[in-house]
Amino acid sequence: MPFREKTAWLSLLAMAIAFGPYFTIASLDRAVAPLPDLHRLGLFAAAVTLQVIVLAAGHAYLRLVSHGDAVVPPDERDREIERRAITTAYYVLIAGMIMVGFIMPFTARGWEIVNAALLVVVAAEAVHYAGIGFSYRRQA
Amino acid sequence: MIQGFISNRIRELRFHAGEMSQAELGARIGVTRQTIAAIEAGKYAPSLEAAFRIAHVFAVPLNEVFSWSPSSER
Repeated sequence: MPFREKTAWLSLLAMAIAFGPYFTIASLDRAVAPLPDLHRLGLFAAAVTLQVIVLAAGHAYLRLVSHGDAVVPPDERDREIERRAITTAYYVLIAGMIMVGFIMPFTARGWEIVNAALLVVVAAEAVHYAGIGFSYRRQA
Repeated sequence: MIQGFISNRIRELRFHAGEMSQAELGARIGVTRQTIAAIEAGKYAPSLEAAFRIAHVFAVPLNEVFSWSPSSER
């Protein structure tokens, strides 16, 4: 498996571990609190910290077992895969941001909007990394 | 638009070049072993420059490495 595919799956895993619980808790706790809501801000900080820890540990491990693959610069196929994945993720991001920025203010407020924006960013990143992973799987 | 597909003889040319490995060919043209595997399998169409480099490695014209066959015409 190419090093770049491994790091894409790792990034996806780190997001699932960090933001899966975060968004589950956020969806269950819908009480309206004045901004800035330090409790929710702390929860988000914990999720980001967890993501960074999983990524750092995962990258360290992958570099250890990749036998030099980690330092090989991306070739034309790697760049093409990255470009396609970013293009797809961009559409997710734009569609989500239109939803959050133009539609949600009529129906929601406070952290609901903040969390929706975060969810859109996470979803776009998930599509980005999944796109990379699946492209390598298909050898495309 | 004319539809078609690209086929290649890289596997055969590697065999005739003393069973050159995918990694060695990749290193000589500046791509990874996985990219050579994807090109051989017809899953990835290389850039024109990479195609010329592959032909150069095997010292053959480009059309002896890659060929394009139309499948239908509209």
